Amino acid sequence: MNIMTTRGRDERAGQTMRLGARVKPAGVWVVVLGLLAVLLPRGGVASEAMHLPKQNWPFVGVFGQFDNAALKRGVQVTVQVCMACHSLKYIKFDRLRQFGFTEQEVKAFAESQGRTKKDAMLSGMDPVLAKDSFGVVPPDLSLITKARKGYEDYVFGILTGYASESDVALARQVMADGHAADGEVREVAATLHLDPNHPEKIAETLKRIADGGNFNKYFPGHFLAMPQPLMDGAVVYADGTENSKVQMARDVVTFLAWAAEPTQTERKALGFNVLLYLVVFTLMLYALKRRIWARVH
Amino acid sequence: MVTESEEGRRDFLLLATSAVGAAGVAGAAWPFIKSWSPSSDVLSQATTEVDISSLAEGQMITVPWQGKPVFVVHRTVTQIELARKDDTKSLPDPAKDADRVKRPEFLVLLALCPHLGCVPQPIGTGNYGGFLCPCHGSHYDTSGRIRQGPSPRNLQVPYYEFKDEKTLVIGKATV
Amino acid sequence: MSKIMEWVDARLPVTALLKSQATEYPTPKNLNYWWNFGSLALFVLIIMIASGLFLAMHYKADANQSFDVVEHIMRDVHFGWLLRYLHANGASFFFVVVYIHILRGMYYGSYRKPREILWWFGVTLFLIMMGTAFMGYVLPWGQMSYWGAAVITNLMSAIPLIGEDLVVWIWGGFAVGDPTLNRFFALHFLLPLVIFGLAILHLWALHAVHSNNPVGIDLDEEKDCIPFHPYYTIKDLYGMGVFLIVFCAVVFFVPNLFLEPDNYIPANPMQTPAHIVPEWYFLPFYAILRSIDFLGPFSKLAGVVAMIGAIAILFILPFLDRSPVRCFRYRPLSRQLFWIFVVDCFLLGWVGYNPADAVTLDGALPLTVVGRTGTAIYFGYFVLLWVITAFDIEKHSPVPKSI
Ligand code: HEM
Ligand code: FES
Repeated sequence: MNIMTTRGRDERAGQTMRLGARVKPAGVWVVVLGLLAVLLPRGGVASEAMHLPKQNWPFVGVFGQFDNAALKRGVQVTVQVCMACHSLKYIKFDRLRQFGFTEQEVKAFAESQGRTKKDAMLSGMDPVLAKDSFGVVPPDLSLITKARKGYEDYVFGILTGYASESDVALARQVMADGHAADGEVREVAATLHLDPNHPEKIAETLKRIADGGNFNKYFPGHFLAMPQPLMDGAVVYADGTENSKVQMARDVVTFLAWAAEPTQTERKALGFNVLLYLVVFTLMLYALKRRIWARVH
Repeated sequence: MVTESEEGRRDFLLLATSAVGAAGVAGAAWPFIKSWSPSSDVLSQATTEVDISSLAEGQMITVPWQGKPVFVVHRTVTQIELARKDDTKSLPDPAKDADRVKRPEFLVLLALCPHLGCVPQPIGTGNYGGFLCPCHGSHYDTSGRIRQGPSPRNLQVPYYEFKDEKTLVIGKATV
Repeated sequence: MSKIMEWVDARLPVTALLKSQATEYPTPKNLNYWWNFGSLALFVLIIMIASGLFLAMHYKADANQSFDVVEHIMRDVHFGWLLRYLHANGASFFFVVVYIHILRGMYYGSYRKPREILWWFGVTLFLIMMGTAFMGYVLPWGQMSYWGAAVITNLMSAIPLIGEDLVVWIWGGFAVGDPTLNRFFALHFLLPLVIFGLAILHLWALHAVHSNNPVGIDLDEEKDCIPFHPYYTIKDLYGMGVFLIVFCAVVFFVPNLFLEPDNYIPANPMQTPAHIVPEWYFLPFYAILRSIDFLGPFSKLAGVVAMIGAIAILFILPFLDRSPVRCFRYRPLSRQLFWIFVVDCFLLGWVGYNPADAVTLDGALPLTVVGRTGTAIYFGYFVLLWVITAFDIEKHSPVPKSI
């Protein structure tokens, strides 16, 4: 028995040595791979749209939870502002009751769009009319936070990324002057996140802004059909929360994130239990494996 | 080398692991089984609201409820009296008319014959002034009770409520 | 109980089969964890078939309904979201597992004599898997589904003479549409069952010649092998546990990790998304396809040929490798080539992910150049492996006589 153990140890020592010999070239390649991973993706194409600032959403992440008050405010903004043009065809008005709205409130939401509470949340606006006035049918919002790169941050970026009144005024002034002072141009370019190395492009952009185009920092291509939907005070919150543009944008994105996947709360809760189970079970399997293989080693 | 006590421990470990594993497999089967249950959009069709304000005396309508036909009858005084008079007769499936309605003037029936599932004809047909099932000749009275023919039971009364004076809600909401 | 088994065994030797092919099946005792990925692949296949079957019970293949139906599954069907996320992510994990399984075979020389037929079954499985995954990805009928289907089916038009007609035949129309969706669904349902059948043949071929092992030498069944059960049953189960932890973490917590946002936009034949990419597991092959862009009018056909060749070359790998030694552990040059090949696959994947006209290193390096180099290295691996082994250029280190 003693002899056997010694031989075992020798063998293992031999294996470790071989392992060492084997690991070296592998290690080199792992380093090469790592370098590639770090170097290359940065290259890419110069992205069209601005880099999106990361927001901190309480409902994102393994333990993320929706704040019911924010959801209720989000519903209010959605119905009173967004649904003038957009639909949420996968959500029925009746479902909003789960946030604590009364039947009367839900009915009022539905009737504001000419619907009943059993209907899907379809906009009161006729899609043909919408196409006539905007050139496109406004996209359905049921899945919007899942259907765009940048997800929630992107929708929030769009809602808060329009050229401000002072930006527009500046653009008008620059265009009216006919020629722009260098400093001025650099100033607008900086606030609108335009590339300062392309003056012709900046001039063109400013012209379109001055002509009333809807400029948005975060929209790929910058000009979109939707005019700025949220301004400070657009909605009077039932719960008295301050109705700044940023607050409304946060609330509406919260509700849209819920609407994109109403089952996500259930998913995370179940996932937590499943993983707990799997970790315990796998540890048991590992212990069993060790014991069984003890006979061979 | 593995000692005997270690082997014993393994047996316990083996048992425990098998049990936990079996529980896991059963748990994993549950979502698959449950996915066959009526989905939430189907469940939201569990109730049907009927506006009865325009349903005149003597009239009836057939409304779909959970994919099945339901008769909503606004009975005349004669029809109600007829139904009550027969309460005391010996019936194949005894029931009092008063137990089959919430408001005597409104009779609500699941319009599927308990015999083999055909839809009976509207009120005023058959030998009892009620409903005649054309398939195999079951005669129901003005309370929807079986009186003659192969059907073993009365026409079923679905669960319903009067939400207000003019709205009848058939079925129980399930959310 | 034993009475019943006796009765059965007299008519169908179940016990004997289980004994010889499962419980007492002799297995090398020195297999490392890379050998877990075969049983894992089978496990994932079963997850795919189970979740797919239950999805199919709710799914409708109809260009006007499929997108909505997938959302109906996600929102209304009890645990429908789980079925779909298991299935969508399962496809990705299937490829992770199978790629590791293939690379394992390449490193330890598992394709060498006498395992050629076993290897061919494997490569065929991989091919059918790719077809299945491609057609499955069309079913949710989002923008990526639609345009992925359009781009890939259009590849056939590169075939001289019949190409154009062939594409129309595959579409069943003048563009990808309802008939295409319907036939893809039928095939997507069928092919996994074909995969299952082939997997059984794959196992049959394995059991005929037995497992290779990390040392790559033929083993003495008495001395070097142990019965499959309980040693490898428990090791495989443990591997599945670890796999499930990683898999479920993705399914429950980041289920859209591998899905493109654009596929949550309903298919629109009038508008192509700005940047269409295939699923990650096709990216290296997609990069090879695009890298052949310097042959003018022949580029398209050549690209398709190169892409198909990239997989087809795996079939002749057993004949390219002439080394007297199976395992790359003892073959310093082959080993270097192997790791270059692995890195190259990642590189090609990255090239495939980026737009064709992208540049890198501040414009100094057009991506097409990287792509062409990557393609050359990919095929170079096979050529060089043949050269260094056929002409005895590689000097192998001493191979142990036993384990
Ligand atoms: C080799 C096994 C399989 C692979 C690799 C595979 C792959 C895929 C993929 C990539 C998708 C798209 C997922 C998405 O983005 O939503 C999909 C969808 C689908 N598959 Fe499979 N699948 C397999 C087996 C099966 C089987 C056996 C069935 C049916 C019996 C099936 C039925 C479906 C259905 C109904 C869908 C559409 C639903 C959806 O998009 O989520 N699959 N499959
Ligand atoms: S089904 Fe009505 S009498 Fe037979």
